[in-house]
Amino acid sequence: MEILKVQNLCKTYGKGEVKVEALKHVSFSMEKGEFAAIIGESGSGKSTLLNCIGALDTPTSGNVSMDGQDLFSMQEEKRTIFRRRNIGFVFQSFQLVSELTVEQNIMFPLLLDYRKADPGELNEILEVLGLADRRYHLPGQLSGGQQQRVAIGRALITKPKLILADEPTGNLDKKNSQDVIDLLTQASRRYQQTILMITHNQNLTASVDRIMRVSDGILTDLGGMTNEKLS
Amino acid sequence: MKNYLDLIPVSAKIHRKQTRMTRLCIMISVFLISAIFGMADMFLMSQKQQAIQSDGAWHAAFKGLDEEKTALIKAWPEVKTASRYAVTNYRLDMDYKIDGTQTVLCGFDQEFFELYPAVHLIDGNFPRKANEALVSESVRERKNLMAGDTLEVTTPKGPLTFQITGFIEDTSDMLKNNAFGIFMNTEVYLSNFQDATLEKDFVCFVEFMPGCRIQNTLDHMKKQLGFSDDEVAENAKLLGVLMQSRDNYILTLYFVALILAVLVAFSGMLMILGSMNSSVARRTEFFGMMRCLGATGKQVRRFVRREALLWCKTAIPIGLAVSMVIIWILCNMLRHISPAYFGEMPGFGISWVGIISGIVIGLVTVLAASRTPAKKASKVSPLAAVSGNGNTVFAAKRAANTRLFHIETALGIHHAAGSKKNLFLMTVSFAFSIILFLSFSTGIDFMQHALTPFRPYTPDVSLVSKENLCDIPDSLFTDLKSNPAVRRIFGRSFAYDLPMQLHGEAKKAMLLSYEEYQFGWAIDDLRQGSMEAAQNGEGVLLVEKAGFSGEAGDEIEIETKLGPQKVKIAGILSYAPFDAGGETGTIICSENLFRKLTGENGYTILDIQLKDQSDSAVEEIRSLAGSSYNFSDQSNREVKAVYFSFALFVYGFMTVIALIAVFHIVNSVGMSVSARIHQYGAMRAIGISIRQLKFMVAAETFTYLICGLFVGLAAGLPLHYYLYGQIITSRWGDIWSMPISEFCIIAFVMMGSAVIAVIGPFRQICRMSVVETISTQ
Repeated sequence: MEILKVQNLCKTYGKGEVKVEALKHVSFSMEKGEFAAIIGESGSGKSTLLNCIGALDTPTSGNVSMDGQDLFSMQEEKRTIFRRRNIGFVFQSFQLVSELTVEQNIMFPLLLDYRKADPGELNEILEVLGLADRRYHLPGQLSGGQQQRVAIGRALITKPKLILADEPTGNLDKKNSQDVIDLLTQASRRYQQTILMITHNQNLTASVDRIMRVSDGILTDLGGMTNEKLS
Repeated sequence: MKNYLDLIPVSAKIHRKQTRMTRLCIMISVFLISAIFGMADMFLMSQKQQAIQSDGAWHAAFKGLDEEKTALIKAWPEVKTASRYAVTNYRLDMDYKIDGTQTVLCGFDQEFFELYPAVHLIDGNFPRKANEALVSESVRERKNLMAGDTLEVTTPKGPLTFQITGFIEDTSDMLKNNAFGIFMNTEVYLSNFQDATLEKDFVCFVEFMPGCRIQNTLDHMKKQLGFSDDEVAENAKLLGVLMQSRDNYILTLYFVALILAVLVAFSGMLMILGSMNSSVARRTEFFGMMRCLGATGKQVRRFVRREALLWCKTAIPIGLAVSMVIIWILCNMLRHISPAYFGEMPGFGISWVGIISGIVIGLVTVLAASRTPAKKASKVSPLAAVSGNGNTVFAAKRAANTRLFHIETALGIHHAAGSKKNLFLMTVSFAFSIILFLSFSTGIDFMQHALTPFRPYTPDVSLVSKENLCDIPDSLFTDLKSNPAVRRIFGRSFAYDLPMQLHGEAKKAMLLSYEEYQFGWAIDDLRQGSMEAAQNGEGVLLVEKAGFSGEAGDEIEIETKLGPQKVKIAGILSYAPFDAGGETGTIICSENLFRKLTGENGYTILDIQLKDQSDSAVEEIRSLAGSSYNFSDQSNREVKAVYFSFALFVYGFMTVIALIAVFHIVNSVGMSVSARIHQYGAMRAIGISIRQLKFMVAAETFTYLICGLFVGLAAGLPLHYYLYGQIITSRWGDIWSMPISEFCIIAFVMMGSAVIAVIGPFRQICRMSVVETISTQ
């Protein structure tokens, strides 16, 4: 079942001599439960692509549709609500709310919808993330790896159609990085969660279903690379 | 670039927009302090000049003199200038005349000119020889005299002839009464008036050295030279403006002014502190980066201090310049509105008091306020700056309460209350607007009590008995009442210093009569009893003041010329526009009862309110009244001008406080939002809507506001009560009441500001690029 469809996506910054084409006619789609990685050099346009898919940024042209709904035909308020219900984000710098506990941070997207989390589901996520004994801690009392696990929990709690992870291991050491990738893989498998991850660490793409490369704004699909290292 | 401190101007240029609000806060605080202190200084300067022009530059006057005492006074180390002075025919009711015109004869020493700058020697020399004298300018004009001519004055004891040595400008009293003046030296005066003595007729006016503690010196002089309290008079007005008065009420006013000055200085300090504290986060991050690049904690502290001083370099001079311009505008307005009262105010004067207080308070506060970010910045771990988690100031110590409130409300409240120091500073600075507003509102009460040009009972013209007797006949009342120019006429009869018994205690009282209008206007001041009973002559009204309290129904005994008479108290008034002063009580009764008690049938004062206020109408009333009574048609016009000037001060200042509150709230919220903009960006990415963010900012703002309102009310009400008691109750006896309307006005202004404050950053949030915000983390 097709969850994400990106068609002819272009993003241009500036005009005239300073014009930069960050994305050039990018098109691809993702199936439900698929775990894909986008790799590329720094400045290649991979973050721009992720931001456009997540409706954080507006493309110059092209379409992004999720479960058949065109993101950019929606009004801003509606798009925001759509985003918090259907897209989970995991950022490099965690972006946790420092005034909320681990539990509250995980529930944050639900709280914004004035909904309560199902205690069973919340406990399960906390258990899976290894944060059960830290549920009442504030982000400032956690290590970097733990903070990123909270961010993954927050992305999972709404059972979104798509999780976008932008360099989720960028601020972590090797062990924590592997833990985070394992968690994302587990989420993909256990909850049939569609995940699109950006990384420049090719070692971390070992467990993904599919790899795409962005170079100078052009996306190339490298296909399924399970258990295969990129050369 | 020689060292790292040279980075400051470069950084300031780049962060100009970010530090604009802080610089604006410093500027406004300096402006506020400098303008208020400067204006107070200008006011005191003008009042000093005014007092010197109207009452003279002397500080004290001694009576009961002899040669030895006079010599000792003149030789007293603290005495700058002293002059003896005596006058004959001051009231122009004796037989001293030049060609039939009433003439005042004065004797004084040459130093008198220094003590009375209003008395100008315009031509000639001070008389030194026997029978030499100066004469007033009007005599020269009328009789075409020159220095050296002789002039004869008729006196009850025969004519006196003087040789004229010069001319003195006519004083306003002489002009008003169409009188002449002859001025001679003390010795000539004594030789011409053989029965005049230094002890009985002369006073010695004294001006003390600048910086002298006058009251202490006077005590010392009284003790050493053997003067009794009755023999020493003070120039109350001048000593009042010189802050050398011992008058309890004036001392109270000084104290109240001091409290208000401290409040103003404090509010300025709080504004700067608050604004600098709000920008701590962004700045801490930057200084953390400096630490990361190798700057020591000491270097960071020095950098922060130097940066704060750089803000002062532009903000303080601008604040001072603006305050000076505002002072000049206000001074010129006041001179224009009330030349008689503020004519001596300098149009373009410079107040060093204002300038120095502005600089000192501005500089000290900025340096004190910069210590916090400097200390915090020097403690920031370099790791915090590079880890992308540099905004450590937001690291919360406890979690927001999401059970009681929606998430956005909970976070907003937590943003306000999360840091106790921030909440304290914001609450106190919000509260200060209320405290200042309530405190200064007592100035309105003071103005309305002290100046009464718009009270319903304020007359346009008045007819007053020359001797304060009940000698204005009823017939004149009736004649004036039928004049078409008269809208309303009401009279009062007075009996002064009547012995009375109140609850068995012997006291003195002033008895006066009211008629229906005046009873009607007094109804609001009736604390107990019945106005109707007083109006019907069933009893009297007692005006409450220290030593004169009673209950309706109590009996008092008044001794008039008809003998002791017992009357019942029909009611108690908290206030009356007439006060006998000192320890004399005020009793009010109906006209009939007054006549019955005193046997007097006339009025002491007739107050007239006019339909037609033209000069011709006033002249018609004047001619109807005749010349047997004093006629006053100036006082209310003058009081109106003073009232407008005072109102300009008080309402102007209250408006400034309100505007400062608006600015402060809008600025504080704006700064708080811009300090948290990264966090808002991250929340936007996760899915918070703009509307929810708006609620979050509103929750934060209203938390400050509610805390500020509570604290402001809790501190402002007792202060208002205290100030009101000191300047109103102690003087006029009015009982304090809750300043509800004043509180509502400032609360409404603050709430309006809070709404504006939330709408402002909303635009900034809408413009915010989520991607940029995330990527700068």
